[in-house]
Amino acid sequence: MSKDKIRWIIFAGLFLFVTLAYTIDIKMVSSPSYEVQKSFDYIESLPEGTILMISFDHEASSLPEVQPISLVMIRHAFRNNLKIVGLSLFAEGTAIGYRTLNKIAAEYDKQYGVDYVFLGFKPQHIAAILGMGESIYDVFPRDYLGNQTDTIPIMIGVVNYDNIEMVISITDGDRAVQWIEYAGPRYDQKVMTGLTAAMITSYDPYLSSGQLFSVVGGLKGAAEYENLYGEVGKGNRGMPAQTVAHLYLIVMIIIGNIIYFRNRKRQGRSS
Amino acid sequence: MPTRLPLLICLVSGVVMFLQYFSRHPVAKLIYQTVTNDWWQVIFAFTLIVGVAGFIKITLRKISQKKDRTYALIALGGLLLMPILALIGGTNIESPFQWAFENLLAPMQATVFSLLAFFVASASFRGFRARSIPAAILLGTALLVLVGRLPIAEHISEYIPDLTFWIKNYPSMAARRAILIGIGLGSMTTALRVILGIERTYLSGK
Repeated sequence: MSKDKIRWIIFAGLFLFVTLAYTIDIKMVSSPSYEVQKSFDYIESLPEGTILMISFDHEASSLPEVQPISLVMIRHAFRNNLKIVGLSLFAEGTAIGYRTLNKIAAEYDKQYGVDYVFLGFKPQHIAAILGMGESIYDVFPRDYLGNQTDTIPIMIGVVNYDNIEMVISITDGDRAVQWIEYAGPRYDQKVMTGLTAAMITSYDPYLSSGQLFSVVGGLKGAAEYENLYGEVGKGNRGMPAQTVAHLYLIVMIIIGNIIYFRNRKRQGRSS
Repeated sequence: MPTRLPLLICLVSGVVMFLQYFSRHPVAKLIYQTVTNDWWQVIFAFTLIVGVAGFIKITLRKISQKKDRTYALIALGGLLLMPILALIGGTNIESPFQWAFENLLAPMQATVFSLLAFFVASASFRGFRARSIPAAILLGTALLVLVGRLPIAEHISEYIPDLTFWIKNYPSMAARRAILIGIGLGSMTTALRVILGIERTYLSGK
């Protein structure tokens, strides 16, 4: 069989299995990881009116994996009457962040400017992170809609990180590392992150040292958080497809190795 | 003189920014705020101009040389379209600029990212082989971690999640820490060399 034909069979197989997994309604329950439980418990323990800063530091390409995390965390925060200051340090996360916040705010009847605000995008993320430690008003003189930041009800008195309980960076790369390295040691800001599964190991040293409070990783993390929150969302709906794709990869690796060893054995015999 | 001035600017900027970190004096704070809020943004804007100019130059060269002409024209069109849309209708949430972002850029990015799954599937079949003992160890570990990330892992065996956790938190983290410490030391050394003017490749390539 030609290489191209094999490739096409592999592609078609993956497409078929993932599509089938999406159409079948199965709930895959797994125990929450230590980090997801810690994240959930912390948000749950915060008193009403506490201000969280959520930074949408990701591209549109990783939306299917990171958006379930931001959706469930924002829902959790709004259900507990916490206030949210949204922003983006990634140009592409700006519109995504604004729309996501507005969508969930409408579900919980939250008012813009009172219960949440979106500050928009600021280039040069390190400068922005450091600058907000001194004055959020200087870094974001106006919000995404053009209102003067220091006159928005939710922002009155929110001068810098001293008035923010926690920064939650929703990211698909290493942007949360900058939050940890610059907002953490200099301003003693607590940082949590929701990120793609492929990036989790990059954050393990920070997690272990306590520089990063906790992490909700990948679609599985989102599904676990949703289970704790008590609502089936995009995380749970995506789990069967992800599981099938993982199993498919495992089977491909095994088949590939069987063929490899069989060929090696044949070559050994013929020589 | 042409190289002395940038070296002096680099030295003064580096030393001032280094020293201000240890001071709570209002002047130090003012310098810090001015640099982070204003100067960095200005420098960023200029680097953006350089980047865009470089991209246009390379793309125009490709078009004139008839090398990947169609792709180059599309790339150049895309580069010009977004600022034009922003100038015409602004960048607010209901603007044509945002429409183009959400309906052109976002789906295209998602498509490219989704293709990764297919490439990984193909690569796992053709490339991920136990050709040697180290490769076999790597393969076994990868399979274990892959299974451990599945919700069904704990139903297969209660030890799999624990084993995955152990791999992630001990051997993997030890390697990761070593890399991070190496990067940190390397960054410090490079920063010192640049501030002291020993490293000058950014000036003339020498």
